[in-house]
Amino acid sequence: MTPEPQELPERSHEELLGILARAEPERLKAFAEPLIAELPEIEVRENRTGLVMLPMRDTAQGRHFHLGEVLMSEARIAAGGLEGYGMRRGRDLEAAMAMALVDLAVALGVAHDRCAAFVTAEDLAQAEADRETLRRVEATRVDMETF
Amino acid sequence: MAYVATRGGERAMEQSQRLFRAEMGAITPERVAEVRAAMPYLVDRVMGEASLYDQDLAALALAQTGGELYEAILLLRAWRTTQPRLTVADPVTQEGLFTHRRISAAFKDIPGGQVLGPTLDYAHRILATEVLKGETHVPAPVEPASRPSPARQPSVAAWQADNDLLTAPEPDTATGNDIPDVTREPLMFPADRAHTLQSLARAETGGVLALGYAAQRGYGQAHPTVNELRLAEADVVVRHPRGTRFSAGRVKVSQAEVVSKQGEALGLGFSATLGWNEVKVIAAATLDLNSNGAPKGSATEEEFFLYHTEGVESSGFCIHFKLPHYVTFQSSLDAMRDAKAKRAARARHAEPAE
Repeated sequence: MTPEPQELPERSHEELLGILARAEPERLKAFAEPLIAELPEIEVRENRTGLVMLPMRDTAQGRHFHLGEVLMSEARIAAGGLEGYGMRRGRDLEAAMAMALVDLAVALGVAHDRCAAFVTAEDLAQAEADRETLRRVEATRVDMETF
Repeated sequence: MAYVATRGGERAMEQSQRLFRAEMGAITPERVAEVRAAMPYLVDRVMGEASLYDQDLAALALAQTGGELYEAILLLRAWRTTQPRLTVADPVTQEGLFTHRRISAAFKDIPGGQVLGPTLDYAHRILATEVLKGETHVPAPVEPASRPSPARQPSVAAWQADNDLLTAPEPDTATGNDIPDVTREPLMFPADRAHTLQSLARAETGGVLALGYAAQRGYGQAHPTVNELRLAEADVVVRHPRGTRFSAGRVKVSQAEVVSKQGEALGLGFSATLGWNEVKVIAAATLDLNSNGAPKGSATEEEFFLYHTEGVESSGFCIHFKLPHYVTFQSSLDAMRDAKAKRAARARHAEPAE
C-alpha cells in the first residue's frame, strides 16, 4: 500500500516546492546530502536537463501563446513507496537532485524539524531579496503632475 | 536556382574558422560569466530571439561567436533541438508578473501607479571616456524607498474594460500541448493568433523595429499609444508528479500593449517576449495593432512581417548568396553575351549597303 505523503507543519506542498526551486544551490546541496543516509534505499528515476515551454495570456484577445522555452533541470527519485521531485531553472542537475531529496524526506516524514528550519531560512532570504528589489523599484515611482 | 558542387576549399575553410576564432582567443568560464554579468540586456535579446531562456547558454553563445548575433542565436536554436521538452508550464498572466517597470503613455493615473524601473530613457547620453584613460566608472547607487513597490500590479486593459473602453477578451481554454506551437507546426496564413504572437516573441529585434517603425511613421493604419509596458519576472509554474502546481523559478519577460482609437472603442495590439527588450515588444505590438485588414504586401500585413522578421531564416537566406552560384551566374552571363551578339548582328543587317 502506498503511504500517505506528509507535509511540513504550516507549509503547503506548493510553498515547499517553490522555495526549494529558488533556494541558493550550494546551501541546498549541502543541506540535502546528509539526508541520503537517513532515507530508505533511493531509486533515481530521472535526472536530466530539458525544456519547459512557457505560455502567456494575450491581454488583447485573450489567447494563450508560447513565449519560448526555459532550460530546466529535473530530478525524480523514489524511496519507501513515495516519490521526490525537483525542478529548477538552469542546468544544475545536483541542485535538482537535492530538491528532490528534501521533497522526498518531507513526504516520508524524515528530518521534518531540520527541513522546516532550512525551508524557513531560505524563505526568509528570498523574501528579503524580493523586498530589497521592490524597494529599489519603488524609488522609481512617478508622482506625476500635468500642467 | 541551380547549384554546383565544388572541391578544393577544405583547408581554406578550416583555416577561415580558425582565423575568425583567433581574434577572440580562449573562451573561458570567466569570460562567459563576465559576458553574463556585464551585458544582461544583450543576453536577454539573444534569449528572446533564440526562444531559449538560460543566461549561461546565451552568454556562452555570445562568447563563442564573438558577438555575431545571428550566429549566436543559430547556435542556441540548434542546441535547443538536443533537449527533450519536459512539459508546458501554466500560462503566465499579466496580473501575476513580478513587476520591475510599468508605465503607460495613455493614462497617467493607472491603477497601481507608474514605476519607471530600470531604464536609460531619461539619461544623458555621455560616453564615459575616462575609463579609456584608466579610471573606473562607478554608477551612482539607487537610493531605495523605505517601502517596497507592490510585486503584482493590476492590468490596465482590465481597468479599461471595466470602464467600457475595451471589450474584455474571452478566456482561452487551450493549455499545455493544445496551444498552437510554431516550433512543431508550419506557419500558415491567415495565421493562428497564437502562432503570430509566438513568432513575434522569437522574432529578430531589428527586423521587428524596422517594420514597426514603418507603421508608426505612417505606413500603417493606426497610430499607437503605449497603453501599458512592463518589464517583469514570470513564474514558471509546473506540476509535481503528485499534482501540486508550483513555481520552478522565474524568468524575465517584457510585455507591451499599444492602443488606438477604432470607431467608438479602443483597439489593442499586444506583444511579449522572453528577456527585457522593450523596443522589440512596442514595435511588435504596433504590428499586431495594424495587421487587421492591412493591404497585401504592406509592412503591417501579417504574412509580410512574420516571414521577414524570423532572424535565423532571413539571415540564413541572406548569407546563402555567398555560396557558389557559378552555374546560375554563368548562365546569366551567357544570356547577356547572347543578347549582345544578337543585337550586334541585327545592327549589322540594318546598316545600309554602301
